[in-house]
Amino acid sequence: MQMIDGFLFKAKKNRWHYAYLFIAPVLIFFGLFRVYPAVETLIFSFFKVEIVARRYQWVGLKNFSLLLRDDSFIRAISNTFVYAIYIVTISAFLGLILAAMFNSNMKLGSLFKAVYFVPFITSTVAAAVVWGYLYDPKFGLFNMILKLLNLPQRGWISSYKDALGSIIVFSIWKTLGYNMIIFITGLQNIPETYYEAAVIDGAGPLTRFFRITIPLISPTIFFVVIYNTILSLKVFDQVFVLTAGGPAEASTVVVLQIYNQAFLNYRFGYASSMAFVLFFMIMIITILQYSLSRKWAV
Amino acid sequence: MKRVVILVIVMVLLLTMAAFTEGKQEKGPVTLTFWFPAGAITATSMPFRDGSRPWTSFEAENNVRINVIAVNYETMKQKLLTSLAGGKAPDIAMVDSSWMGAFVKDKALVPIAPDDAKNWLDGVSPDTRELSDWGGGKMYGYPNWGEDAYALTWNVDMFREAGLDPDKAPAYLAEFREYSKKLTVREGGELKRVGYAIRHVGEPNGIVDKWDWLLVSSGVKYVDPPTVLTGGRSIIDIPPVRKALQSAHDMLYVDKSTSLKFPDPRECLLKGLAAMQISELVSIQVRQPREAPNLKWAFAPPPAAEKGGKPAVHISAWNFSVLSPSRNKELALKAIKWYTNKENDFNMAKKYRSTPRWMENYNKEPFLSDPFVKQFKSLLPYGQPYPKNLALPGIMEGIGAAIQKIMQNTVSVEDALKGAQKKADAAIEATK
Repeated sequence: MQMIDGFLFKAKKNRWHYAYLFIAPVLIFFGLFRVYPAVETLIFSFFKVEIVARRYQWVGLKNFSLLLRDDSFIRAISNTFVYAIYIVTISAFLGLILAAMFNSNMKLGSLFKAVYFVPFITSTVAAAVVWGYLYDPKFGLFNMILKLLNLPQRGWISSYKDALGSIIVFSIWKTLGYNMIIFITGLQNIPETYYEAAVIDGAGPLTRFFRITIPLISPTIFFVVIYNTILSLKVFDQVFVLTAGGPAEASTVVVLQIYNQAFLNYRFGYASSMAFVLFFMIMIITILQYSLSRKWAV
Repeated sequence: MKRVVILVIVMVLLLTMAAFTEGKQEKGPVTLTFWFPAGAITATSMPFRDGSRPWTSFEAENNVRINVIAVNYETMKQKLLTSLAGGKAPDIAMVDSSWMGAFVKDKALVPIAPDDAKNWLDGVSPDTRELSDWGGGKMYGYPNWGEDAYALTWNVDMFREAGLDPDKAPAYLAEFREYSKKLTVREGGELKRVGYAIRHVGEPNGIVDKWDWLLVSSGVKYVDPPTVLTGGRSIIDIPPVRKALQSAHDMLYVDKSTSLKFPDPRECLLKGLAAMQISELVSIQVRQPREAPNLKWAFAPPPAAEKGGKPAVHISAWNFSVLSPSRNKELALKAIKWYTNKENDFNMAKKYRSTPRWMENYNKEPFLSDPFVKQFKSLLPYGQPYPKNLALPGIMEGIGAAIQKIMQNTVSVEDALKGAQKKADAAIEATK
């Protein structure tokens, strides 16, 4: 009891002790579940790791040099970037359009907002399972619609040409609502007086949009772009459920490769080196985007 | 503030003490955890899914409770690996033959006692013996009843309608292609039924399983010799394999007697969307009475790659194994020995109209005169399990991707096989 008294006395004298006391649980859990695994992954990437037997063999940079010659990994990087480019541009653009539409006093606007937002709060795995049925080339709804319209049916997720595109469409449907809500928040922070002044000066809707709206929501745009980029580079769930990276690696992505190498091929060291490369890529892109946002933001 | 902090600390201490006290007071039957693969495609886990409660009498006789947990087949291997790495694995699990190599190497599976292993190996059928023996009579699990043998299964009525002898299967690839063409049905230019349903999507393992008949029959050796856990060499990119896969590719793009738009081959056969398919016989045997009660079907070894060649029947099994982190190894070993004993083997195989393990059961009625079992025995001379090698997942990943590329017509057969060979060589190198 004397020890506790002593600690509390000191803490009272130095109020920052309280602060540390209160954030200690977060720090402990963050360290345990975020920092420690990240550091261990970095260490693993220089070893051949046999995780069950706890055998570790130093291999230096061998895992990284193997990555450069791994066609599947190179394919995965290329697919991941294609995916990210489509998601960031299309999903952000459509999100902005929808936000601009629903920001006005549109009839049933709240209902539509909810409809667009629901996919975001739905479990990705559950939604992907349902979309898997929709995409089924033989019995799926999409091909039935194409058939009704007398259009050629597609292979969707079973086809080499369509698989990645099908996942992109699903992901746009999934993320659109979130982007829309963020943009609406950004739009609502723009003071109405700017628009009133512009109207008096004779500015039309397009001029107002490009000269007032876009510059003033540029911090929101940068947030959406960074958020979507990071999320896209880490894409896994929908790919795993819909195509497992196939057919013929047509839709394989970096995180799926990490997962396959670690949990299917038992190559934890190699998988860790992939994870480290991904971390490095995300870091560089985020720094770049952040620097640009500081340069251009109003 | 001081009082609040003291109160919090006291509560934490009390809760911790309560937790420890609860742990010490735990009494009653020992609990063993058992994982089985869930999902329609793993037919031999049926007793755990249809309410049969097969552990009941073992639990009563041994004052033990077996906590039966369904694990999705698609992710079971990964979950087992993670649980093993975390030291919290189940006591008992059904383990696929192709996963066992890595687990054995890492000493994650408890060896079966030598006397029990000898007793099993002396008493079971030769194919079961081959699946069970890890060299010198060492065993790490008991293969379950209802062996996975990959056979050609066909719809008897569709054969008859197409003017084919319903009792005669195509014996070699060229003949198989002709059969497939005759059995294909189109309406208004649209494919209504395929002659042969192919597996071309999903995990590489699943794809290779369904193409093993053609690969092995045309000369593929996943690892040579098949008995080494590490090292060896893989033979994939050779002319006969190129020829066989080109022929399979032509069924899709020249004959158009199969399609990439049709579902899983087993589903195709059961739903009448295909006249022929090649996969685990046990799946059709267990699922057909429930899913397609009116279907008349027959089976035979898959066609050989060449006329007069030897067919290849891939055999594998789900094994009942005890995992090394188990705190009740003896009891868990006793449980799996009990589950696969002669009596249970007989009862399960009889109930699910499948094949037993023990030779003694094979030689008893109803198996002795069961046409299915008799016919099943005709597959066994061609039976071959996967090699017990650590590089197997990497090799299968390469071959599975190559088959997908060929079927999707994205690269030539030569380039696809070159890629598969490169991947297989790298996977073997990584085991050294």
